Amino acid sequence: MTRHTRNLAAFFLAVLALGAAWAGVRRASNAAATRVGAPSDPGVRPTGVPRGGELVVSIRTEPVTFNRFVKGDSSTDLVSNLLNAKLVRINRATQEVEPWLAERWTRSDDGLRYTLKLREGVVFSDGHPFTADDVLFSFAAAADEAGGSVLAGALHAGGGTPEFTAPDPLTVVMTLSEPFAPGVRILDNVPILPRHRLQPALASATLASVWGLDTPPGDLAGLGPFVLAEYLPGQRLIFTRNPSYFVRDADGAALPYLDRLVVRVIPDQDAELLALEAGDIDMTTSEVRPEDYAPLKRAADAGKITLLDLGVGYDADAMWFNLRPGAFDGDPRASWIQRDELRQAITMAIDRKVFADTVYLGAGVPVYGPITPANRLWYAAEAPQPRYDPAAAKALIESIAGGQPVRFSLLVPKGRTAIERAGAVIRDELKKIGVTVDVVALDGAALVQRVAGPSPRFDAAYFSLYASDTDPAINPDFWLSSGTAHVWNMMQTTPATSWERQIDELFAKQAASSDEGERHRLFADIQKIFAAHQPVLYFVAPRVFVASSSRVAHVEPGLTRPQLLWAPDRVAVSPARAARPER
Amino acid sequence: MLAFLARRLCFAAFLVFAVSSGALVLARLAPGDFATADLGVRAQSAEAGRLRSRYGLDRPLGAQYAEWLSRAARFDFGESMLYGRPVRDLIPERAANTAVLALAALAVATLIGLPLGVITGSGRGGLPAAIIRAGSVALLSAPPLLTSLFLVFLAARTRLLPVGGMGGSTGAAGGALADFVRHLIVPAAALALPLAAMFERLQSQAMSETIAQRFVLAALARGIPWPRVLWRGAFKAALRPVASVYGIVVGTLLSGSFAVEIITSWPGLGRLMLDALRYRDVYLVAGCAAAGAVFLAIGTLMSDVALALVDPRTQE
Repeated sequence: MTRHTRNLAAFFLAVLALGAAWAGVRRASNAAATRVGAPSDPGVRPTGVPRGGELVVSIRTEPVTFNRFVKGDSSTDLVSNLLNAKLVRINRATQEVEPWLAERWTRSDDGLRYTLKLREGVVFSDGHPFTADDVLFSFAAAADEAGGSVLAGALHAGGGTPEFTAPDPLTVVMTLSEPFAPGVRILDNVPILPRHRLQPALASATLASVWGLDTPPGDLAGLGPFVLAEYLPGQRLIFTRNPSYFVRDADGAALPYLDRLVVRVIPDQDAELLALEAGDIDMTTSEVRPEDYAPLKRAADAGKITLLDLGVGYDADAMWFNLRPGAFDGDPRASWIQRDELRQAITMAIDRKVFADTVYLGAGVPVYGPITPANRLWYAAEAPQPRYDPAAAKALIESIAGGQPVRFSLLVPKGRTAIERAGAVIRDELKKIGVTVDVVALDGAALVQRVAGPSPRFDAAYFSLYASDTDPAINPDFWLSSGTAHVWNMMQTTPATSWERQIDELFAKQAASSDEGERHRLFADIQKIFAAHQPVLYFVAPRVFVASSSRVAHVEPGLTRPQLLWAPDRVAVSPARAARPER
Repeated sequence: MLAFLARRLCFAAFLVFAVSSGALVLARLAPGDFATADLGVRAQSAEAGRLRSRYGLDRPLGAQYAEWLSRAARFDFGESMLYGRPVRDLIPERAANTAVLALAALAVATLIGLPLGVITGSGRGGLPAAIIRAGSVALLSAPPLLTSLFLVFLAARTRLLPVGGMGGSTGAAGGALADFVRHLIVPAAALALPLAAMFERLQSQAMSETIAQRFVLAALARGIPWPRVLWRGAFKAALRPVASVYGIVVGTLLSGSFAVEIITSWPGLGRLMLDALRYRDVYLVAGCAAAGAVFLAIGTLMSDVALALVDPRTQE
């Protein structure tokens, strides 16, 4: 061996050795930096539901903080739901409000005061007693927009933010400035934080910077069913049972049922489903894409996984035009592009059967407005549902265009396969009636900048609009002309049209009414006005499918994310198959 | 040699400065900002205004850049808007993961690609050489994204290896290091296989040119056995092309690892940069780009050193 060859060999060996040595050091330091002791099992054994074991779930994006008050993304929210409890919880399966930290509540006759009785003997995971002071602190923190809270908007009830007082350590009174029909439902938005840990941060307006991802797990204290035991950045979060958790099941046994819950970060959805099929994870935290249904059905038929059809979803992707007054000044299309007739023609020109078959591979139902049939309580079946009639649509287009070519661009988010397919269907269907659509795919931030930036520059967009609650009164941002999610013409100082003014008035009435029947009538009227003017066009709502491993034994599926994990304290794994295959 | 290293370090510093500055400016000029990416259609709300004010997004680009530059000079690269953590804390933990992956892939590719290149370039490989050549062409044609998907699919179907993640669980069989290595196999192979194919093709080409030279014929005429001529004389002489692309390969590994890191859930710099770009987290984008530039500079330095080792003429 010559000197140069020896040198080269030594060089490669050094590279290898460095890599291996570094890997070892890295693993060891990670483990040492974030490990804390796991809490002991309280020793209670229920008879009904299997107890113990580990559940592994996946998320596609990492949480960005452990502080739910400063971020509202789905992963941060999931982690918060594991670590924290709230006064009440909306049951995602029934949409009913159920007690959590508050065991009961009453409403005053004028509908302005809610008195909530807190559970006795509840303690945080660090052993500190929970009292009404923690509730007052948490709602003060939620309302502190200047301190960085993102929850202030979620607490808006009618005319403003409720006031909270505590006449005694186990009673909280919520006072509204005007009647608000959903009442305590809004309390599901705010996790209760430990005042004894975070009061200084609120006082110094630094709440936004506490409980970041670099916080040692032992420094987090919560009332939720789990405590964080280990966090490996970019990889996973390991939670163990919170021995102080206060909820018991019908048998009187302490929840949660699981000993451990592991949240793995798997950014790619294809890899996520392969991991599910391989048994590496037990469930995903989002619904199955239409194109994944067939392979998952085969896996389900082979007994590898469980595939659940939860029915039609609450939300459908939507198309809307830029209806801002003056948006098309100087544009030759100004005479027709903002007219109701254009949107009415489009809704008649789209064959919703073709749409459902192409975009959702058959797993969707036609819809004509923002409230889908899944929302049984608020869906107005009597609202107009235009029939598929391309000839009438073409005649309507010709009547408003006056011989001009009808052409507009449609912005869609890049990388969302179902939405990109929908863009193609809209383009093809409208071509049949002589309308040219230029589908433009943009990345999320660029699209939002065009559609919802300070000066919106777009003709039309097709995108996802999610409602934050099934009760319409909790979604004023979409319905009210002053709303920040009133996408066709946002944040109007005064309503731009008479029908928007009418919706504003009806909305205010239904949100304040304590008569449920009246609320339904008023909201049905709103849906009829909406259908007549079609400011946002809806075509098909997808069916929601979710998949889990056959180990998962006790879930109550809900239609909103995380469909199988909205109540993590009640999820269990089958004892016969609790042991995961050794990999 | 010291002057050579000093020149290289100056170049590296300039590269890091230019790349990170360019990345910050381009990310800032791209349509949308962190508030639009984070809040979606509610990007005009009061909350969006507070976000813009907090991170200086409501200031002119020049002012924002000048402030970032003055802080960067003190090794303060700003706070990630997405994670609420200093960029200088986030980058090392992810860049290290990428470095491990890239080094493992580089080592595997070198150890597989070069010997196979010698076999196929010798002209006496027969059927095995033809099969290797075909395999290399196939691997070169497949982008890392496809290779990763295939390997992840294979791992899921055979259940021999973990489907994704970085492992390292202290409770795993064989200990944390063994678990880590098992998790490393799929992403490293996804990166290494196309690279090995490239090394094989380069080495094969160089070998076939080298063995046609007269010194090889002379060695054979002196009675030196063919394997010894091939694996000692010709192999060393043919290493120059591979050594000269090593630096570029390190840079390519970094960019190529983006797709692999996403598919195999490897928490590296590629994934971090993708998230940063998606959310218009301009300080994190600049930090990731700077880390990429450091990788490239190190790679170039490695390439120069390797080249000097195999070809003494380059030292002159």
